[in-house]
Amino acid sequence: MITSFLVKSLDRTIAVAVAILLLLAVIVPALNLLTAPDHPLHVPTYMVSLFGKYLTYALLALALDLVWGFCGILSLGHAAFFALGGYAMGMYLMRQIGARGSYGNPLLPDFMVFLNWKELPWFWYGFDMFWFAALMVILVPGLVAFVFGWFAFRSRVNGVYLSIITQAMTYALLLAFFRNDMGFGGNNGLTDFKDILGFNIQADGTRAALFAASALALAGSLVVTSGIVGSKFGKVLVALRDAESRTRFLGYRVEHMKLFAFTVSAMMAGIAGALYVPQVGIINPGEFAPANSIEVVIWTAVGGRGTLIGPIVGAILVNGGKSIFTAAFPEFWLFALGGLFVLVTLFLPKGVVGTAQHHLARRRQARAAARKEDEQTDLEDAKPMAAE
Amino acid sequence: MYRIIQTVLAMLFLFAAMPQGLRAAEGLRNLVNALGEAKLSAMDEHIAALAKTGEPEVVAILDALGAGNLYARKTDGQVFLTKESGSNLALIDPISGESAGETPKAAMSKIKVNNSVRRAVRAALGGLTLLSPDRAQRLKAAQSVLQTPDVDALDAVENALVAEKDEAVRTVLEQARAAMLLASDRPIEEKKEAVRLLRENGGREALPVLSAALGSAENGLEQDIEAAIASIEQAQEFWNAGQNVWYGLSLGSVLLLAAIGLAITFGVMGIINMAHGEMVMLGAYTTFLVQDVVRTSFPHLFEWSLAIALPLAFLFTGTVGLVLERGVIRFLYGRPLETLLATWGISLILQQSVRTIFGPTNREVGNPFWMSGAFEPGGLTITWNRLWIIVFALAVFAALLFLLKKTPMGLQMRAVTQNRRMASSMGIRTPLVDALTFALGSGIAGIAGVALSQIDNVSPNLGQGYIIDSFMVVVFGGVGNLWGTLVGAFSLGILNKFLEPYAGAVLGKILVLVLIILFIQKRPRGLFALKGRAVEA
Amino acid sequence: MTEKNPRTLLYLDGVSVSFDGFKALNSLSFVVEPGELRAIIGPNGAGKTTMMDIITGKTRPDEGEVFFKGDIDLTKRDEAEIAQLGIGRKFQKPTVFENHTVWDNLELALNRGRGVFATLFYRLTGEDKRRIEEILATVRLTARRDDLAAGLSHGQKQWLEIGMLLAQEPELLLVDEPVAGMTDAETAETAILLKDIAKTRSVVVVEHDMGFIRDLGVKVTCLAEGSVLAEGSIDFVSNDPKVIENYLGR
Repeated sequence: MITSFLVKSLDRTIAVAVAILLLLAVIVPALNLLTAPDHPLHVPTYMVSLFGKYLTYALLALALDLVWGFCGILSLGHAAFFALGGYAMGMYLMRQIGARGSYGNPLLPDFMVFLNWKELPWFWYGFDMFWFAALMVILVPGLVAFVFGWFAFRSRVNGVYLSIITQAMTYALLLAFFRNDMGFGGNNGLTDFKDILGFNIQADGTRAALFAASALALAGSLVVTSGIVGSKFGKVLVALRDAESRTRFLGYRVEHMKLFAFTVSAMMAGIAGALYVPQVGIINPGEFAPANSIEVVIWTAVGGRGTLIGPIVGAILVNGGKSIFTAAFPEFWLFALGGLFVLVTLFLPKGVVGTAQHHLARRRQARAAARKEDEQTDLEDAKPMAAE
Repeated sequence: MYRIIQTVLAMLFLFAAMPQGLRAAEGLRNLVNALGEAKLSAMDEHIAALAKTGEPEVVAILDALGAGNLYARKTDGQVFLTKESGSNLALIDPISGESAGETPKAAMSKIKVNNSVRRAVRAALGGLTLLSPDRAQRLKAAQSVLQTPDVDALDAVENALVAEKDEAVRTVLEQARAAMLLASDRPIEEKKEAVRLLRENGGREALPVLSAALGSAENGLEQDIEAAIASIEQAQEFWNAGQNVWYGLSLGSVLLLAAIGLAITFGVMGIINMAHGEMVMLGAYTTFLVQDVVRTSFPHLFEWSLAIALPLAFLFTGTVGLVLERGVIRFLYGRPLETLLATWGISLILQQSVRTIFGPTNREVGNPFWMSGAFEPGGLTITWNRLWIIVFALAVFAALLFLLKKTPMGLQMRAVTQNRRMASSMGIRTPLVDALTFALGSGIAGIAGVALSQIDNVSPNLGQGYIIDSFMVVVFGGVGNLWGTLVGAFSLGILNKFLEPYAGAVLGKILVLVLIILFIQKRPRGLFALKGRAVEA
Repeated sequence: MTEKNPRTLLYLDGVSVSFDGFKALNSLSFVVEPGELRAIIGPNGAGKTTMMDIITGKTRPDEGEVFFKGDIDLTKRDEAEIAQLGIGRKFQKPTVFENHTVWDNLELALNRGRGVFATLFYRLTGEDKRRIEEILATVRLTARRDDLAAGLSHGQKQWLEIGMLLAQEPELLLVDEPVAGMTDAETAETAILLKDIAKTRSVVVVEHDMGFIRDLGVKVTCLAEGSVLAEGSIDFVSNDPKVIENYLGR
């Protein structure tokens, strides 16, 4: 009974959340662009970018929730997919700079000229076209996740072992991207972007459009994820999360199920990264740091894993808190973050949204039970016993 | 003669009046300036006097004299090393080695030399440092002669060989002599003997000497030299491999130290303690504090500071671990992923606490004398601190093994981890055992920190560098198996160091990570996996 | 008893497996005919669960052959494949999906497409709906169809699991201690249920409860130390001196 209510309320919450996101995608840019700076409802551009960044974080957390909340895979390397998507977008933006770089080389990005490279490496080909870069934003993280997951799930690495090797994966990528000869700008990463699709990346209009794109991407992903979770496939995911070998003995190829969820999730993370980079104006290897991935986990945990709204709420809450906190007491942010990890795991395992939903569902159920009590008993007696 | 006496007297006077460094420099300057006024016939004595000072600058001065590059300024008699610079001379101060501007040639007079002076210079140069009473200096001189062997110094080297008693210096000198012999016009037998000697001692330095000699070799000497080169290269490869093994063992011992506490908390208890690295860090900071107190209050105890830090670090980090287990982790048993997150949070708090208290920069932890320096068996270079850390890591491992296998406490620990309910019903106080086991793991991380403070930067980020590697070691070796941790640590260490020369340090590390990830696919439960129904459940 | 019958459903020959030197199965040979209901008894550590692990692909034998329906080699397949071939398994400890409703548990177990995309785009058809309702009635859980499985009693969970196995439509059902922790009334009903199921498929039941096995009234195999000790009717087996020595007597 709880579930049937949960399902109904869940569907409604998703619809509301999608509606809010669509609304935001229109209203925030409008308030930024169409109102005068001194208007009381004016949203300054830096706020647009800041919240745009939060939305990409929310998308990343949602991606993680698909595998952690519903499938039981605690990935400690999801920021790696985010960063890969970000690098794909960054490569497009680098190519867009063209001859406007400080070395004025029409083909090679500045860092390659600096390293005395003569030719564009093969893996930079095609990134001057937006459609190609956009494809790579999805394909590269998807492929990395697919290959990694194929190995990991096939040999039934799970639980903390899986978490640890996902962490090792992002650590290895971190080390790799720090190297200059990888061809991704080494330590400094990719930055100094000029424009995207021909629009100045610093312009208010572009910023507003990027915000709207982030909101739309989040709304779209929410719909897709909700569809996945609501399908029989989603039920299988929860089933294998709770009793993996039972699921196997029912004939489901658990590794395929996990692989699909993991890959889809990595692709979503990639999209998030691609929207993040133009809004913050830089992508560097630091994004691969294992600490980043673990931070994503705490956003999801704070909001409530296993709920779709939870990670979004969590990402915005924690990052909003971080922005306020680091401005006020920069010394103490890590204390706060560390404390958050401990307190949430100890006292709020379902997260904010999960706990709220739980209480809501209990109250409704109690009310419904009280209302239905009489007919319920009649019904039960009337049901046929068809065993013999 | 009189002039010399005068100079010496002046020097004596100055000696009394000046601080020592300056005094020596001033004495030297007077001696050098004396060269400018000396007659050709008296040069020998001046050169000998200069050589006698044993100052390192003298070498350059004598070199310049021999090459005719030493000039005296006509106005004040100051002597300078010079370099041609168009029609001018670039002056270099003979003592400081600094540039002293340019002067027209006409303003300078060249200090004249003839063959007898040149001989005297060469002899003095060779003898100067090769005969120095200080062994280290002799060794250095011998090595420098070996690196740039000059036929002219052959006599000096042979003289030095007669007087030399020290075995190490002798070896180098003999090699140097052999190298010079090859370039000289001595008879072929002596040269063959020289090649044999070079081959036997076969260091890296002998290779260029032999290659150079190969060009002018004849009468069957070529084959000898080629064979010698091949043999030395082979030996070099062998020693290089040996050195890599050593580096690997050293890295392995570091990994073992970092991972061994984890082998208890993760391997035996199944707790994912992401704050493990921070326990190591706390151990290192304990060492820093102990040294700080020792330095200011009991300086005579400095050599013992590590020994004092060990138990303190164990107790301190063990207590932190105990508090952690009782305060947080015990509420999360059976929820490993949550434990991971909570301990990560704790690691952030610990790091930031240390950063707040001690600042974000590296803290200086000193090495006691028995931890510094190195020795060289064969072609290897072995530093004492690395050696002690290997010994220490093995000792900690052995102690832990003993504790787990042979003591009542170890028995209780194993009982609780294998079957908690049964252990509990047999009267073992399982919560106490849990807490003590975790404290033990943390304490071991702390003493690992004491050791690692000797070779790593003591900063708030110290632990982060070890946490992923430590988990890799435990997972690779097989969870719940101490021997697996030992083998895992050393094999990963050696693998890493053997990959480094081919792939570079960073790529080597990436390769190792990829290999471990692949290995876990193949054997998800590590090298020394437990098999059977119990672990499947 | 090891001679190969073309109509044999399950055929094990000379199967051995050991864990860290402990021989869990020692050259075990064993045959199940189509439509047969077979009971297996034996002391702890006799290898009953390990045998089931081997049949369902969870454990690989060190040596020996395992064939299903005459020529399908089970030792080369994994759990999912073997389940899809038509072998269902009930665990010793009831394992149902606690965070799903009773209905969803059965829907998941239903013998339909199990691929990623088949499940992603699955729609509940009228036929599937009828089938689930039928099974719900069989295992007497119709009234609780919308409740989370976590809320069921122990006995109800056992039945739900049996219901899931029925939904799977296996040809061979392996049931590990189905009546452990059940009341006497539940035990008797379970015996009736199992006999009913065995009308259309083969069932292998592992049990300790001798009364329950007597209720079933079928051929009994007694395992000890990883191989077959005795086989026959319950009276024959329980009078076998070796069985008394190894299992019943002590």
